[in-house]
Amino acid sequence: MIIQLLVSGLALGSMYGLVALGYHMTWATSRTLNFSQGHVVMLGAVVAYGVHVAAGWPLAVAVIATLAASAAFGLVVERIAVRPFFTAGSPVWLLSTIALGIIVENVAMVTFGKDARAFPSTLALKPVFLLGAGVYPQELLLPLAGVVLMGGTQLFYHRTFYGRQLKAVAWDREAAGLMGIHVPRAVATAYALSAVLAGVAGVLLAPLLNVSPTMGTLIGLKAFAVAILGGLGSAAGIVVAGFLYGLVEALVAGYVSTGAREIVGFALVIAMLTVRPWGLGGRRPTRRV
Amino acid sequence: MRRASVMLVAALLGLLALAGVLPAQQPPIRLGLAAAVSGGSAASGEAIKRGLSIALDEVNARGGLLGGRKLELVVRDDEGNPQKGVTIARELVEREKVAAVFGGLHTTVALAQVPVWHELSTPYVGTWAAGTNITQNGKKPNFVFRVSANDDEVDKFLVRYAAEHLKRGKPGLLLENTAWGQSNETGLTKWFAERGVKAVGVEKFNWNDPDMSPQLLRLKQGGADVVMLVANAPEGAQVVKSKAKVGWEVPIVSHWGISGGRFAELTGELSDGVVFVQTYSFFGKQNARGEAVLKALKDRFGVKGPEDVTAPVGTANAYDALHLVALAIEQAKSADGAKVRDALEDLKAEYAGLIKTYKRPLTPEQHDALTERDYLMVVWKGGKIVPVH
Amino acid sequence: MRRALGWTAVALTAAAVPLVTANTYYLYLAMTVAIFVVVTCGLNVLAGLNGQISLGHAGLYAIGAYTAALGATRLGLGFWTALPLAVAVTAAVGAGLALTGLRLSGPYLAMVTIAFGIIVEGALVEWVALTGGPGGIFDIPRPALGGTPLPLGRYYWIVTVTAALALLLTRNVAASAWGRAFVAVKDSELAAESLGLSPYRVRTAAFTLSAAFAGAGGALFAFLNGYLSPDSFTLQTSILFLLIVLFGGLGTLAGPLVGATALVLLPELIRQFLEYRLMLYGVLLLLSVYFLPRGVVGALARRRDARPAAGDVSSFDAPLAREGAPGGEHARDESVIVALEGVTKAFGGLRAVADVTLRVRAATVHSVIGPNGAGKTTLVNLVAGFDTPDAGRIALAGAPIAGQAPSSIARRGLVRTFQTPQLFEALSVLDNVRVGAVGHRLGSLAIALLGLRRDATAADARARAALAAVGLGEWTTTPAADLPFGHRRRLEIARALAAGARVFVLDEPAAGLAPAEVEALDALLARLRAAGLTIVLIEHHVDLVMAISDRVTVLDEGRVIADGAPAAVQRDPAVVAAYLGTSP
Repeated sequence: MIIQLLVSGLALGSMYGLVALGYHMTWATSRTLNFSQGHVVMLGAVVAYGVHVAAGWPLAVAVIATLAASAAFGLVVERIAVRPFFTAGSPVWLLSTIALGIIVENVAMVTFGKDARAFPSTLALKPVFLLGAGVYPQELLLPLAGVVLMGGTQLFYHRTFYGRQLKAVAWDREAAGLMGIHVPRAVATAYALSAVLAGVAGVLLAPLLNVSPTMGTLIGLKAFAVAILGGLGSAAGIVVAGFLYGLVEALVAGYVSTGAREIVGFALVIAMLTVRPWGLGGRRPTRRV
Repeated sequence: MRRASVMLVAALLGLLALAGVLPAQQPPIRLGLAAAVSGGSAASGEAIKRGLSIALDEVNARGGLLGGRKLELVVRDDEGNPQKGVTIARELVEREKVAAVFGGLHTTVALAQVPVWHELSTPYVGTWAAGTNITQNGKKPNFVFRVSANDDEVDKFLVRYAAEHLKRGKPGLLLENTAWGQSNETGLTKWFAERGVKAVGVEKFNWNDPDMSPQLLRLKQGGADVVMLVANAPEGAQVVKSKAKVGWEVPIVSHWGISGGRFAELTGELSDGVVFVQTYSFFGKQNARGEAVLKALKDRFGVKGPEDVTAPVGTANAYDALHLVALAIEQAKSADGAKVRDALEDLKAEYAGLIKTYKRPLTPEQHDALTERDYLMVVWKGGKIVPVH
Repeated sequence: MRRALGWTAVALTAAAVPLVTANTYYLYLAMTVAIFVVVTCGLNVLAGLNGQISLGHAGLYAIGAYTAALGATRLGLGFWTALPLAVAVTAAVGAGLALTGLRLSGPYLAMVTIAFGIIVEGALVEWVALTGGPGGIFDIPRPALGGTPLPLGRYYWIVTVTAALALLLTRNVAASAWGRAFVAVKDSELAAESLGLSPYRVRTAAFTLSAAFAGAGGALFAFLNGYLSPDSFTLQTSILFLLIVLFGGLGTLAGPLVGATALVLLPELIRQFLEYRLMLYGVLLLLSVYFLPRGVVGALARRRDARPAAGDVSSFDAPLAREGAPGGEHARDESVIVALEGVTKAFGGLRAVADVTLRVRAATVHSVIGPNGAGKTTLVNLVAGFDTPDAGRIALAGAPIAGQAPSSIARRGLVRTFQTPQLFEALSVLDNVRVGAVGHRLGSLAIALLGLRRDATAADARARAALAAVGLGEWTTTPAADLPFGHRRRLEIARALAAGARVFVLDEPAAGLAPAEVEALDALLARLRAAGLTIVLIEHHVDLVMAISDRVTVLDEGRVIADGAPAAVQRDPAVVAAYLGTSP
């Protein structure tokens, strides 16, 4: 039982972490985030279903198309729901990104349909047995893919010219602007990348979760909890928090009760923030006086 | 000038003539549907809407009711939210002036609406939500009827199947964590207790839960020899997949929720052998109405065949419910809510419907048109639903 | 006048609804609007005035509703007992929630409130014995009057009058010292603390008040529907509440009314679009924030320009009113008022302040100068309580203050200003000073709610006198955000003055000022000193320092390298080398 729980917890945890990294990226560069990030997860799964299952494109092509669509959607979110309100001061972006999420869900419902559909994958057909516990290969793929993608993101940030520019914007917007970095473009890039991560999570989860217009909401919410738990400013903290949250969920569901899962998970978030308000990986903020 | 006034007079006369003709066109009788047509349960609302429209077209094709009044359907989305449900209940009656309202999937929404139907004297006919206390609500006179399963009856039926047919004595309950699940926990516990059996475990899950293995493992460790499942299609599919994962060979006896979506598509061959209760199945040999409904589904909604009918019970229940209400309106000779209610409680005409032939199906004591005797046990086989036996 | 007309029109419309229609659909909608007004009025105080975004108000709303429902069904309480009970219980829970979220802001606070909402929803589902589980609570009796249950049309009056009351109460609070404190803590927590306000106390009060409103709304809801289930209290509901406040206009009085009306009626108007309804709803929301980013009411409210007609008022003719303020009796008493003894503070490996010993005498201007990075601002932070020294003692008038909260140090009479002036931008100039004048003596929140002002006149007089003293007497109604830069510093000083400071710690007050303004500042400081006040001046501006200081301390790399009269310090070779030599 413990092995099944661990695998399942790590699998989901890695996806929470992946989506939460998206929150981190946009927050770092712009102090805003897409409150409907869960809908991007759904969008990834629905688009992948549309081009792969319904239109019959080969998987590789379908995945690339999905990622492109996710990135494009990220740009749309930034352009329509974030940029106009950047300077408004009040958290209007919260309202506008929620509005955009409502629209996307409704569009998916009209075009994709209202039923949950299966996303066939050879990796989620037959369980394999691992130390006597059955798991779907897809569940083993998720944490691996998650770690690779999260590592890739960090490499991009630290090793590429463009990634460093984004990091510079995250570090100090004004200084970055003075150094000739095009800040709005950096923010747009962050939104596109963040949407790609969510889209990937959608594709990876589709075979396990089934595809439906409402599939992303809870994942988006838990990923938000993970982002906060890890510290919005800390990529490393978020990755750890993702796995931690996934494991806690699985273990509570396994040894206490499923009803207690959400209660315990979110109570943990509150407790954690009471003790360490800046998150697991965040740094204690110094007062700027 | 003169010419203009002549034309004006002519136009006025023409309008008058038109107005004189209009009363001959009788006002339609409006019927409401309050169900979820958005959100995670939207498929159920769509299925109900299909059943109602097919039956409604049949009635209208016969020339309508009460001497030529056509039926009209007004659909409102309750979003699965009780407060919205109350709002649209009032809107349908007060603004849209509907004569009767058909209900959707959510037990909580139906429960929240119960006081409204009584306050506004409007008959309500449930077509899906099976919560026992929706119809058994203690109101006199009772405006709430149902052409659908009733959890209490379903649970009795399922328990009998598990105990007598499968000869199992250690049931594990696996329920969705909603009012519907709660209603069945009560029912299953009660009917098992009648046989001196106590469930070895009661496990719950939430909507959109991805993995049910913890619950299954706990039931397995508790020694369960049959799983009594109360779930909708997506979660039911996860249960079946998780069961394969934990490698547990145990029969699943399910409430009908798993037919409310694409269970077979979601589970592939894993669905084989799952038995569940239905009020109707579009698979196999159909009666005349069955043929007609299937044809209408194909012609109007692009349904390819029985396997493509999502949420078949919604369509079937709604179809019969509308015909019963039509009969009641004819019998009451009025679309007045209180009179239609009285007629529903004492239908004289026999109705050879889709699910069964209804002979005085509703009485002051019995507000469920379908009972345990009308249910049938079915099983998934190769992506199709076939009757057990 | 126009505003009064508008409110009258709203009241008349609300009163007319049950008279012109018996249609319970319209009644029900109007009552839904009214209940949402009650809840969002509270949220508006919290998010609009106090800047705390909550996405957990559905949880508080639920606690109010379930408390009332359980009170009515289990304990047999009547409406008039159940309602206050629900308010009290919810307020208590809100206070508890506020305590867990005290140190948080922005998305972190939003997360705690989301988590709270989800936990409440989970508890409603799981705790079947109490809440009835997912199936909920049935047969909550309608409020009765004289034994007979009220029909919908009568209950309507209770609900709408409560909503009107909610609007009235928020108006009163917004206009009270508490309201100004809410805004002050939102706009600059640092400045609020430096004036003696405890941000924790203010935030907890805002949260508790907001929760009380949510509880009242929940109770009204329970009695309206007669049935409760957890489905009505999801995150979606919390989001809707916040949308109402944002849509109507965050922090505006009429915002909740406009927002609730729009967001309740809008979905009704577009119901017939059925499948495409939510799309339309989303598009309309998006368009509305696009064109009205400050909300409907925010867009309608034209900003009144309250600047004086022309010119700068740089005369400092008004007398310095010191009567009743602490410190007055210390006039010209040159005993030591602030004493630092071996104060040390390190950040990481860097000792920002190393073993500093310093004595400031009362009614003097004591300057602390030094090159960049000498530890001047750290010293200010340590003295004013914004940081705790690693070692050493700090005393104010003989009492140790090291490590105390800034607000309690301020209450003892030491008030600081900031390098970048920290104003309460959303408040008027006068209100900024009133925050200082009232300080932590906010009085009872209940009295503020009822709109009864207690002892406001004394504080007002002190605020106006302080403004006059710094030459801002004619700017009272100007929003602080619109104040010219040079005046912003004066406002800070006026605020400190009104707060009853006897020791002013001014952090580079001359930075960015024009020469004429520096002269005026010079004169002001001289007058403060003449009134018996002590000034600790942290400055770069050597001319100013040398002209006015009684004593100068020079810091370099965290250490005191010279201390004495200005002329002596100016000649000190160590100072010349470390500081004056490099930047004369």
